[in-house]
This record gives sequence, C-alpha cells and structure tokens, in this order.
Amino acid sequence: MIHLENIRITFNAGTILENKALRNVSLTVSEGQFLTIIGSNGAGKSTLLSAVSGETPISEGSVEIDGVDVSNWPVHKRARFAARVFQNPLAGTCATLSIEENMALACKRGKSRGWHLALSSKRRNFFQDRIAILGLGLEDRLGDSIGLLSGGQRQAVSLVMATLADSHILLLDEHTAALDPRMAAFILELTNTVVKEFSLTVMMVTHSMKDALASGDRTIMLHQGKIIFDVAGEERDCLDVPHLLEMFSRVRDEELADDSLLLG
Amino acid sequence: MSLFAFLGTLEIGLIYGLVALGVYLTFRILDFPDLTVDGSFPMGGAVAATAIVAGINPWLATILATLAGSCCGLITAFLAVRCGILHLLASILTMIAAFSINIRIMGRPNMALLGEPTIFTPFESLGFNQLHVHLGIVFLLVLLSAVFIIRLLSSDFGLGLRATGVNDRMVAAQGGNIGFYTYFGLALSNGFVGFAGALFAQSNSFADVTSGVGTIVVGLAAVILGQTLLSSSKIWVSVVAVIVGSILYRLAVAFALSSGMFGMQASDLNLITAVLVAIALVIPKMKAKLRVKSLRF
Repeated sequence: MIHLENIRITFNAGTILENKALRNVSLTVSEGQFLTIIGSNGAGKSTLLSAVSGETPISEGSVEIDGVDVSNWPVHKRARFAARVFQNPLAGTCATLSIEENMALACKRGKSRGWHLALSSKRRNFFQDRIAILGLGLEDRLGDSIGLLSGGQRQAVSLVMATLADSHILLLDEHTAALDPRMAAFILELTNTVVKEFSLTVMMVTHSMKDALASGDRTIMLHQGKIIFDVAGEERDCLDVPHLLEMFSRVRDEELADDSLLLG
Repeated sequence: MSLFAFLGTLEIGLIYGLVALGVYLTFRILDFPDLTVDGSFPMGGAVAATAIVAGINPWLATILATLAGSCCGLITAFLAVRCGILHLLASILTMIAAFSINIRIMGRPNMALLGEPTIFTPFESLGFNQLHVHLGIVFLLVLLSAVFIIRLLSSDFGLGLRATGVNDRMVAAQGGNIGFYTYFGLALSNGFVGFAGALFAQSNSFADVTSGVGTIVVGLAAVILGQTLLSSSKIWVSVVAVIVGSILYRLAVAFALSSGMFGMQASDLNLITAVLVAIALVIPKMKAKLRVKSLRF
C-alpha cells in the first residue's frame, strides 16, 4: 500500500523560477491496485512518482509505504519496497554488464549485497526461466552485454528485473514513451502479464489516455500539481478517450472561470 | 638489457601492477578520476619505513602502510561524497595534504632502510639470491591481490561497485548505496597503492616523499596499455591485462632508456610516459575510425 498525505513539492522555492510541481496531493493506492496516472506536460505526473521513489525530496507532507513512513528515506533505502522502470530504456540497466549480471543486480534489490558469487548455476537457471517469458530468445544470450540489446529489449528485461526481488510495488514512469508503437504495445502487454502474475501494486505514468484506460483498474488525472479527477470501477469502465478529454477541458474551463472571477 | 636489469624491471613492473589495480578500480570501475595515489603511494612507503625503523615487524608495517593508504582514499571520498567537491579536485587536495603528512610521518623528506629487516630478509638469509627473493615474494603478493580483486568484483557487492561507475541512478533504484560504494572503492584502491608503496620502499631500501610524483600517470599508462592489448568484458582478463600492462610499460621504458637509441636519459621518463599514454589513448579511436571507413567502402 502506498499512502501520500498532503504532498507539496516546490522547485526553486522563493525564486522567480518557483514552480509548484505538486500542491497538497493526497493519494492512497491500496494493495494490488493498478493505478494509471495521466496529465499534460508539467502536470506533476513524474514528480508524483519520484516523491514515492525518493528521487525528489518533498517540501511538505508524508510518504508511507506498507505502513512505514519513508518521507526522509533516501532512494536506495526505499528500493526494497518498490521496483522501478524508467522512461529512458538506458536508465534502468547497466550497459557494460551482461544480461545475467544486470539480473543478479536486480535480484538483490533492497537486500544486503555480500561476498557471494553474483552468478551461480542456480541463479542462472532462475534467470533463464524468468527471461524466457519474454519470448525474445534472450534466455540463450544471458552472457551478452546488455548494451547490445535494443531499447525495447532492454525495457523488457527491465520489467523482468523488476520482478526478481520479492517486493510487490512497481513504479512505471512512462516506460513505453521512448519506444516505437509496436514495441510499446508489446511492453504494455508484458506489463499487464507481469502485474497479474505477481499480483503487483502499480503506479503507471503515461502520456497515452488510451493506455491509461486500457490498463489498470483506477485512473487519476493531474493538472498543475493537483489531482483533478480520480475514477475507478464501473464509472471508469464506461469512460473512453473523448470522455476523458471532455472532462479535462471542463475542469480547465472551470479553472478559467475562477480566474476570470478573480481578475474581473 | 642484462638479465639482472630485466628481473629488476619485472619486479618494479609487478609492484606498480598493484598501483595499476588501484587506478583500474577508480578510473575504470568507479569512473572516479582519483589523483590521491600520488599521495598514498609515498605514504605507504613512509609508514612502512618509519614503522620498520621503530622496530615493528615488517609484515605488520606493510599492513599499517596499506591502512594508511586506505585512509587517504577515505578522505578523498569524504570530500567528494559528503562535501560535494568535484572528484578530481577532492583527490588533488588529499594528494597535496599527504605530501606534508608524509614528511611529518618520517620526520624528514626521506628515510633509508639499509640494514633494517624487511619482508624480504627472512628469505634472503636462507641463502637465496636477493633479486629472486624479491621477485618471488612480490609476484605472490600481486597474484593474491589480483585473485582477491577478481573474486570481489564477481560477488554481489562487486557487481554493485561495477554498476556504480556506469549507471548510478540504476544502482540507487536497485537499493545500492552510491556513497558507500565510493568510500569503499577509494579506500580499497588507495589501500593497494599504499601497499605498493610499502613494497617499493622495502625493495629499494628507502622511502622518499617525492617518489609519488606521477604515480597516477604510470598507473593510468598500465591500465590503458593493458586494456588496449587485451580488451575484454571479462573481469579476470581486465585485471590480468592491467598487471601485464604495468610490466610492459616498465619494460618499454627500460628499453627506451637503456638502448640509448634516441639519446634518452632517466629524466626523460615523464615525457616517455606521457607520449605512451597519449598513443594508447589514441589507438582505440583510430581503430574505430578505420572500422567505420572499411564499412563504408
């Protein structure tokens, strides 16, 4: 479970560049929920995710994961709760290490790393089993440097890597945005498979309203650092992209109306 | 080159192989350009010499020297990680400070070890040839160090260390503490360099604060030379390559100086080193260019 309480993040506070990325956002993602997050550029989607992962320090509020207050924890300590897949396929893997070494790194996520050999035959078999579900033939190329793989393949491996350690939270930061449409569809499908198989709790940021509605069981939309709507269940099942757009423009109109009142 | 000179060169090459291992750890593995070695090498010599003259067992003195080297690394890591000083600058600060500290340790700029016991003396008194003893012991110590590094870098912890220099964001996302890896890596690297300094001082029977000048370039030359000749993504190949690079570098220098064919003298050593490093750095780029050209036509 992820619980955000009154999160406020301000970049360059007190300067002319002050940017309120998140304004008093409260959000609870319950166990096993697959939340998709949409919003326009600069709405605070990625900032929301990095408030959970710890990459962006929060100015106010608190972050709780599985009942533990992690507000002041550094990124590497929070890693034991949540796996992440980044937008940039190069960011989630280490190019100079082989596929199996990357997987060995990931299977120790959030655990202490000791003197044990990183690659044993037992681990290799385990990696082979896990990577085989991709159907990319990578199980026979475990020793290859991961830098030789394409962006899409690396993203697919990142997803598998996210499931190797036994945490059950997955943070996806526009993880299909840098891929071509076919690969993006493959990765999204893979995401759904993996999430179901390991019953993960997911926060997925995406640019695509279609993807946001097609995957997961709850959707929120951010605008200017606030959650402007939050749908789940039947209400969400009836939504389609035009509806979403309409809701979005309605919210913006209201906001404009507020402003005009203020200014008028 | 006489056999005597050849064996002597081999010994120096092996000792500097330890320096090369240290430089490999920082430059290649951690991607942390660390000039601390120019200070930790003479510090290893200074600590070992002072301890031996004070009557401490030479092996214990060598361990103390290794620890002193590690401390230099920790200070650089502290300046870089905790104080946020630029890597290169942090290491230069430690290097400069170490110069003064080394003179304080010895109480003077240099110290002779003639007639004092060293880690070599027990074997020399058995009647073996001095040069053979030196070479044998140094070889064994370098071998042990290399095995240790290879084993470390193949462990779970070592994998984190290796990834830190390439993609620190990913390491953090996998729960690795970048700061700790940097402290550990620099301490280990400079520990090796301090160890090398202690062996160098005992082998030559003197310790000198100026012996550290250019250590980093020599180490770098060995790493680049070795990895240019033996390039592989396998860790054990890289580690062996680095040590072989150090020996080859020493042989090349000795050859250039002894043959006298270019009218070289000992003081030209730094120039030769710089030229060697520059050439070794350019070769991979030339190779890549040639490959592109051959693909085009």
